[in-house]
Amino acid sequence: MNLELVPMLIMTLLLILSGDADVDTAQLLLRGRHTVSDHAGALIVGDASVTVPAGAHAPGPIYLIGGRTRIDGAVAGDVRQLAGTLVVTDGAAIGGELQRIGGTQEVAATAAIGRRSTVELPTPDRTSIASYIPWALVTGLLALVAARRARRNPTALTNMRRAVAEHPVISLTVGALVTVTGLSLFVFMAFTLVLLPVSILGLLAGLVITGYGIIAWGTLIAPRIPTTRGGLAAGAGVAVVMVMLELAGGVPVLGDLLVMGVLLTGIGAVMVTYFGLQEYRPVTLPP
Amino acid sequence: MKLFEFVADRRWVPVTGYVFYVAALTAGYYYNLTFVQLGLIDLGTRLVGLSPRDVSKVMAVLALTTLVVAIGGGILMDRRGWSSNLHRKLRGLLAVISVQLVLTLVAPVIRTPAALLAWVVVCSVTLGTGIPLMFSTMIDFIPVRDRGYIAGIVAGLSFFVAALYPRQWRIEDFSVVVAGAMAPAVLVLGVLSFRRFAFVDELARQHEQFGTGRFCRPAPVRTSSFVFWLLIVLMFSVFFIDSLGFLRIMEAPVYISTSWQSPQVGTRVFIAVTHVAGALAAGVIYTNFTRRWLFLWIFGLFAFTHLLYTFDLRMGSTSTPPLVLPMFYVLAVSFYTTLNFALWPDHSTATTIGVHTGLGVGIAGWLASFLSTSLALYSEAIGLSLLRHLTYVNALALLLAFLLPVALYVRRMTTLARQGATP
Repeated sequence: MNLELVPMLIMTLLLILSGDADVDTAQLLLRGRHTVSDHAGALIVGDASVTVPAGAHAPGPIYLIGGRTRIDGAVAGDVRQLAGTLVVTDGAAIGGELQRIGGTQEVAATAAIGRRSTVELPTPDRTSIASYIPWALVTGLLALVAARRARRNPTALTNMRRAVAEHPVISLTVGALVTVTGLSLFVFMAFTLVLLPVSILGLLAGLVITGYGIIAWGTLIAPRIPTTRGGLAAGAGVAVVMVMLELAGGVPVLGDLLVMGVLLTGIGAVMVTYFGLQEYRPVTLPP
Repeated sequence: MKLFEFVADRRWVPVTGYVFYVAALTAGYYYNLTFVQLGLIDLGTRLVGLSPRDVSKVMAVLALTTLVVAIGGGILMDRRGWSSNLHRKLRGLLAVISVQLVLTLVAPVIRTPAALLAWVVVCSVTLGTGIPLMFSTMIDFIPVRDRGYIAGIVAGLSFFVAALYPRQWRIEDFSVVVAGAMAPAVLVLGVLSFRRFAFVDELARQHEQFGTGRFCRPAPVRTSSFVFWLLIVLMFSVFFIDSLGFLRIMEAPVYISTSWQSPQVGTRVFIAVTHVAGALAAGVIYTNFTRRWLFLWIFGLFAFTHLLYTFDLRMGSTSTPPLVLPMFYVLAVSFYTTLNFALWPDHSTATTIGVHTGLGVGIAGWLASFLSTSLALYSEAIGLSLLRHLTYVNALALLLAFLLPVALYVRRMTTLARQGATP
């Protein structure tokens, strides 16, 4: 599953939970080609290609979080588009509201739409300096935390740094396993709806662990920063890591793999050291 | 890894041992996994015309005979000192593989239940003999430090090939592939068994250094010990859960598209690569953490996997299921298979490895797999729905995922209670 779908899937489930539709009959289409005619209940379109054929009457609502959806027939309820591509052809009808939050739309002028609305979200423009504000804020926050930890509890940072530097394969393995399992578990929990708050909390905890992992990498670079002040060096190290991750992210495939490897290794280092509370020592094996 | 040290020091004889072990175990496990476990079902139902219930009885005969021969063979190996005699083991393997080659070639022409039963009995004798012989070569070839990684490589490679080829689970297809791979193996083993080579003599002496397993230091693990039998019970449970769910899932039309039998090459490659990644991850965890973490991961993964499948079934999904379902299944299977390769030699010395691998692989591996496969066939024959069947499997997996940490906690508590309360 495309990882970018996870937050949108959770947002969609929150919308459904808020009373948009009957949650028990919701169906998620993650991949493949599908023709929808009489599915009763909410339909969530992930990385799939979905068609409502001419003459068909789908009850809806339909949520688009990815993929491509083509409506030739009629949808009685709402259609909410968070991402992906939506095509509404001549003669198609949407009884409820067609809401666009994101993604691309192609709506024929003659299509019968009950109501149309657009939620304008600021589009990140990588050419403007303002687009880097969120990144800079995150970097600043992580640098502050690193600096504070370096002053108050340097041992914790040392433990995490040693896990990254001395046991990268183990950290990467643990990080990858924890991430894959945790992410799937939290998405699965979200589907139960009862556990949706736990799922959101879990994902937030995941973000905290990822941030802590970046701090672990930052402390690895800190000794190379020409200053005697430990806190400043740790903060600057984190900033360097963030810049490197940003630059690497711009390189297709290899850059993405590098970023993923760095983040997963950091997560693993945090996990095996219990957030730096204990030094990680592999079991001792005979020669 | 010790292997890198050998390569750096240009010590090619120990490196040859690694290559031999990986090639032999990968081929052997592929044979057991595909030809015996999956091919036998096709042979029994399609060519001989037996019902699934009758095939389940045949598989039970196979499992029990294999178990008895594996234990008997292991005891014999240890008592006669063959466990630490590589030359003997190579000759034994030559005999086993030669008979298996003949069995492989004749399998597609079997048409009667009597012939099938005779084939199964001979096959199980070779399997039972092969288990302690094959698994015990780890003490001759692989140093303790590398066992987790090498076990991961063997598990990953076996599943990688099995997931990609053959595309049809037909005994004829299996027969061609397996016989083609066995013929050169027989030739190599024949040469190594009947001619004296200096490098084989050197490999035969390595058990003096590698023979004592990781968990046998400082004191060896006794066959009658609680730890050894607890491991057998745990591994039995793991194999049982896997095979119980696997067969029914693989035969459900809705899940075929995301299984080993998927017509999509991309899906099969995804499964094959995930097997390798999972096995290597298991190798890393086995080498660097204690056993309990690996068992916790395995039970946790199985519980979560079956939860995903039952959830998908309850949702009544008719579309292609997401690949996350087979992904977790594959991870769980790769984890425990890796563990199975390394665990028994690491609980053995050169004088106990025959019995320990015979008991461990025989009971926990073969007996559990075939009993649960028989049970899965039986549940299919009596018309138990897939959802109901997987609910039982899931309940078992959840129970074990719960009981293991509780048992570990209680054990720690008992130890503390014996020491008395401290301030």
